[in-house]
Amino acid sequence: MKEWTKFALLVAAFLIFYFAPINAPVVTDSLMAGLTLLQEYARLHVLTCLVPAFFIAGAIAVYVKKDAVLKLLGPTTKKYIAYPIASISGGILAVCSCTILPLFTGIYKRGAGIGPAVAFLFTGPAINVTAILLTGNVLGWDFAVGRLVAAMIISVIAGLIMAAVFRGHDRKNTETGFATGMQGDLPYSNATVIVFLLLQLGVLIGFGLSIEPLLKGFLLSAFLAGIAGIVIFVYQREDNLEWIRETWDLVKKILPYLFAGVFVAGIIEVVIPREFVVGLVGENSVLSNLVASTFGAFMYFATLTEVPIIQKLMGLGMGRGPALTLFLTGNSLSLPSMIVLFKIMGKRQASVYIVTIVLFSTAAGWLFGKYF
Amino acid sequence: MKTVLVLGTGYSKCKVLEQRLLALKQEHGLEFDLAKVTDLESILSHGIMMTPGLVIDGKVRSVGTVPRDAQLIQWLKEDLQ
Repeated sequence: MKEWTKFALLVAAFLIFYFAPINAPVVTDSLMAGLTLLQEYARLHVLTCLVPAFFIAGAIAVYVKKDAVLKLLGPTTKKYIAYPIASISGGILAVCSCTILPLFTGIYKRGAGIGPAVAFLFTGPAINVTAILLTGNVLGWDFAVGRLVAAMIISVIAGLIMAAVFRGHDRKNTETGFATGMQGDLPYSNATVIVFLLLQLGVLIGFGLSIEPLLKGFLLSAFLAGIAGIVIFVYQREDNLEWIRETWDLVKKILPYLFAGVFVAGIIEVVIPREFVVGLVGENSVLSNLVASTFGAFMYFATLTEVPIIQKLMGLGMGRGPALTLFLTGNSLSLPSMIVLFKIMGKRQASVYIVTIVLFSTAAGWLFGKYF
Repeated sequence: MKTVLVLGTGYSKCKVLEQRLLALKQEHGLEFDLAKVTDLESILSHGIMMTPGLVIDGKVRSVGTVPRDAQLIQWLKEDLQ
């Protein structure tokens, strides 16, 4: 930073502190709403949902063998296998959004081709484990499942459309594959890893159950004992350390932005007029879904921040359909990501991809709002 | 002098791998050039899609993880003969 910029920033801060109308109701209300929502998240969602979810994501990153999945996205895989695998593999391969683009480019240029690559690109961020779990915890499991299923279906449709429109592309990239098999095999059976993940999921869901406290305590202790058993008696020390490190890495990457997002979401409730939200996206019409879809396509949400923001928009009267639509495009597209896509895919392919996603997300939200 | 490549678009784990390699180099008195590859196309040209990737003397050794020190030193000793 240049000295002058620092000076300008300090002066700006000074002027804000000097003149800010901190007693005006809109300011005090906004701050209060932001803090209230932060407290709500801290009390209801951090310990019982986010912490277990981060541990689960960390465990997936360390213990789940990614090579096998990756091989199924190679250039020689049958298409009817590649598409479904691509649409679910985001949850396993891309625990963090920073790994999505290299994987997408790899599948696109050296692997199963443009269709599965597009399917992966779209669902990768959308079926992030922590995001689905937080959605369920905050907005209800119907939303979490709706989001998951809609994202998977749309991703396959979008992939097929892209593959049909740009048929010529795939012939070029059959000669090479990609490097797999070098991850250093972990000596644990698949069953162990699956039980380990399920136990953790059990803890997360167990916390949220409204059952007798005694039974709940018993269930949770049983799950935790199971986890401890695997950690102590089965897993090696180094792998456990890796698990903790991976989890901590995710927490560092996501939590600060989430807290900021929660605060902003609280403010939204105060500064955006209810009539405005209700008028634009209150009903479940095709138009309101299209509005939500387009808004989500341009807007950037840091990982997980879409949850508190959509929660508060729904509080202001946003319909269920448009809310689901916003989940679908909000996660997968943003202005910055569009720019990158134009660079990697070229103008024509990127435009077709973006338009397809926006339209099908609109349709999915509309159907969700209508039938669920 | 043989080359060791760390491939990654520059997020935290790539840096960790780089630091470990440098530490091992010092500790064991190894001789190699360490280079970083950050360009997506060049990373892919090695067939690597999950970063950090590690390429020792032209051979892809690990993908998507930071291997343990013991493993790293074994590879380095094997490949740098």
